[in-house]
Amino acid sequence: MKIVVCIKQVPASNDAKIDPETKRIIRDAVKSIMNPFDNYALEEGVRLREKLGGEVIALTMGPPSAEAVLREAIALGVDSGILLSDRAFGGSDTWATSYALAKAIERIGQVDLVICGKQAIDGDTAQVGPGIAAHLDWQQATYLMEIKPTDKNTILTKRLHENGYDICEVTLPAVVTVVKGINTPRVPTLKGRLASLKAEIPTWKPEDISAKTEQLGLNGSPTRVVKTEPPAPRTSSTIKIEGTPAQCAKELVRQLRLRSIV
Amino acid sequence: MHDPKYHITNKIYHVEILPPKQESTKLLEDLEIFKEKYLRVMDSGYCACITDNAMGLMAFQGHEIIEEMKLPVHPDQVMIHLNTFHTKADLDNILKSCMRLGIESLLIITGDGSDRLPKLQPSDLEETDVESVTSVELLRYIQKAYPDTFVLGVAFNPYEPEEHELEKMKRKLDAGASFIITQPIIERNAQIDRLLTEYPDIPVTVEAWMSKKLSLLSDAIGYEIPADMEYDPIATLKMLHQIYPMCGVYLSLVGFKTQYDLVKDVWK
Repeated sequence: MKIVVCIKQVPASNDAKIDPETKRIIRDAVKSIMNPFDNYALEEGVRLREKLGGEVIALTMGPPSAEAVLREAIALGVDSGILLSDRAFGGSDTWATSYALAKAIERIGQVDLVICGKQAIDGDTAQVGPGIAAHLDWQQATYLMEIKPTDKNTILTKRLHENGYDICEVTLPAVVTVVKGINTPRVPTLKGRLASLKAEIPTWKPEDISAKTEQLGLNGSPTRVVKTEPPAPRTSSTIKIEGTPAQCAKELVRQLRLRSIV
Repeated sequence: MHDPKYHITNKIYHVEILPPKQESTKLLEDLEIFKEKYLRVMDSGYCACITDNAMGLMAFQGHEIIEEMKLPVHPDQVMIHLNTFHTKADLDNILKSCMRLGIESLLIITGDGSDRLPKLQPSDLEETDVESVTSVELLRYIQKAYPDTFVLGVAFNPYEPEEHELEKMKRKLDAGASFIITQPIIERNAQIDRLLTEYPDIPVTVEAWMSKKLSLLSDAIGYEIPADMEYDPIATLKMLHQIYPMCGVYLSLVGFKTQYDLVKDVWK
């Protein structure tokens, strides 16, 4: 199976700051990390390859520094990484981004499955995965908590929604997005990390993927950010738990569970 | 397998070495520094103790660094910390690598987690009566799955409520631990005195805090030590030898540039 995992470099959420004039996230001053949901997508891709054989390719679009997340992906077990980087890609919204990624997937060729995290923690749109499927005109299944290959051309998926889950059969090629609970991502090994340092990562520009420049960047983006503001600081509250040690412990566990902490 | 009392009777320090962090931007350089420290400890005849994601900060595992850098292993001179923040597959991989490399000593701790670290589940270790895996369940698993393979030690935290910690220690020893290493101390500690009285036959190693930064110790043990307190690690080390002559000593955060050669003359 040939799998492409789309990943994104995002600002570490606690550090994100917004430029008051451009309304964009100031990326230079903050630490960058791999979008946490993409870790689950990578892990799922690597597990499928371990089960079925084939190849996993990590794909990202961003500034040259985004190469770091591709090296991280290689350390986690993917076979190779491709970076889409050019000024023409700058300012792309989710539609233009998914167009560029779809064109890169076409250029890679013979891809059976594209896996994305359910959303990126910076934009929180959850639109890029479905956008790639729309551009490629492939089937899609989102918010997956399980992927089971059934035969060469189909996968059985467990799709999470508010009231439970759906079991969906999806014909390949397809684009899927995955949720946090789908697996427990592995920690990079030293061997993997050392291999990632030596890996050659090609950088593709619009002409390499036969992308129309008018469909990229701000020109290709139907969305305009009018205003962005950091959220209001969270208000904290304190609960005093009283009772016997056993009662307190029980109530503490209940409160933690209510907040999905344990 | 070596006798866990060996280090005390032969006055062999346990020397902590922190492995390079996962997020290191100069990994090759950090690996060389690790190698240099490790080889110095080997040359001194001491025991290199390699931490496992200390304080929840993701780092590379001791066994994989030893393997990758082809470092020598003398069974009584290497100790790997092993905590509960691993997948079952990783846990078995670590244990099998240690077997292959000839690493006998493991310090089994519950450990500190983080968002990125997986956590062993009771079902992984076929434990049915507990809600989470601690060092006790991990010890039990290693004893069962890898019998007569490792010398297993556990931690004693003198900053926890006394009865609770001693009760936990009993369960750890019942689960197969054969030596104890304390959390760092900088003076006589009443709870350690009691531990020594209750378990006179179990080798106990006290951890000496070798960094001048006491604020780091505050972070590690979870209670405040006055920031302006003057602290001389070498003098404290000498004092600990006097107070606890029956114990081994684990040197945490020892400075290899300035302290290491001084330390060599202290325990003779």
